[in-house]
Amino acid sequence: MDDTNLCTCPEILAMASVPRQNWCEPYDYETSLKEGTLFPCLNLPFYKAEEGDSNLKSTSIASSPEETQRESLMSKLSAISFAINDLTLYLDTHPDCPKGLPLFKELLQKRLELLTEYADQYYPLTQISMITGNKDCNCYGWGEGPAPWEGGLI
Amino acid sequence: MWSYEKRLQFPVKIKKTCPKTAQLIISQYGGPDGELSASMRYLAQRYSMPVKKVGGLLTDIGTEEINHMEIICAMVYQLTKNLTPEEVKTAGFDAYYIDHTTGLWPQAAAGVPFTSLEFQSKGDAMADLYEDLAAEQKARTVYDNLLRVIDDPDVRAPLKFLRAREIVHFQRFGEALEMTKEKMDSKNFYYFNPEFDKTMYKQEL
Repeated sequence: MDDTNLCTCPEILAMASVPRQNWCEPYDYETSLKEGTLFPCLNLPFYKAEEGDSNLKSTSIASSPEETQRESLMSKLSAISFAINDLTLYLDTHPDCPKGLPLFKELLQKRLELLTEYADQYYPLTQISMITGNKDCNCYGWGEGPAPWEGGLI
Repeated sequence: MWSYEKRLQFPVKIKKTCPKTAQLIISQYGGPDGELSASMRYLAQRYSMPVKKVGGLLTDIGTEEINHMEIICAMVYQLTKNLTPEEVKTAGFDAYYIDHTTGLWPQAAAGVPFTSLEFQSKGDAMADLYEDLAAEQKARTVYDNLLRVIDDPDVRAPLKFLRAREIVHFQRFGEALEMTKEKMDSKNFYYFNPEFDKTMYKQEL
């Protein structure tokens, strides 16, 4: 076969490619939320965002012990829920990952427990937590607790 | 369908009123590379995606972008919540105030209203995925620019988080591009449009 006219370019032309992420050991969940990703290998910060932010943790605006406690439970729930958000996208493109899937189920279980605990102690954050939490509570929806855009506290 | 959960994806607890900062950040609500635009882009593109898992990814990222829109709106709200009449006049928020008081309305930093012209849904998987990759990069640039000019740590924490999400989403769209390519002819990816020339592309149902 005469292949003198065939292109010898080693790669496919006119098409970009992005390497697939391999599983990398996740951050703890509080760090994940702070950094915006569960995966250290995808944490690629901007130099201007580093300056003076070494202790960049959301500061509390809680004004009573009750608020402090509620804020602490909300922080736990936010961290676990965000780990689920990030893992969701990872599993969308790695549905067969033997490490990702069991962790996903474990986190979903933890999240269910935290939502229930929150509903038990304060007020339901989702409709389903009206029955998984304190069943004697007659809380319904928007009357209880601050609106999320108030910063979780009023 | 969607359901609401009464909390933000990332906490926003801003203590200091700053209408000038609100006026910059609002761009990520209704601006050309904002979260509303991102959400509408992905949720519009997903219906005709030839690879089912890519349609799923667009749904999940489109949903996350709505969370981000809510974070941005919460920031604008908290930055202007206790605005004084004096600050209305002097702090660079006067033009917005005249039309919207301190209500939330999707616009770019320069006042241009939100428009669907800011994004595309092209009905071509390659074209759409490249648009999505580019969109994540452009949004990252906006967050970089915001982080250059804003000092308040209460504002920087959510901005840093949102910037990090752009990079993760870029990676996932890149993987979605690879998944789509796998189902096509690598000798010529442009021989047909997998979203339209259905007889040439074996669709998953």
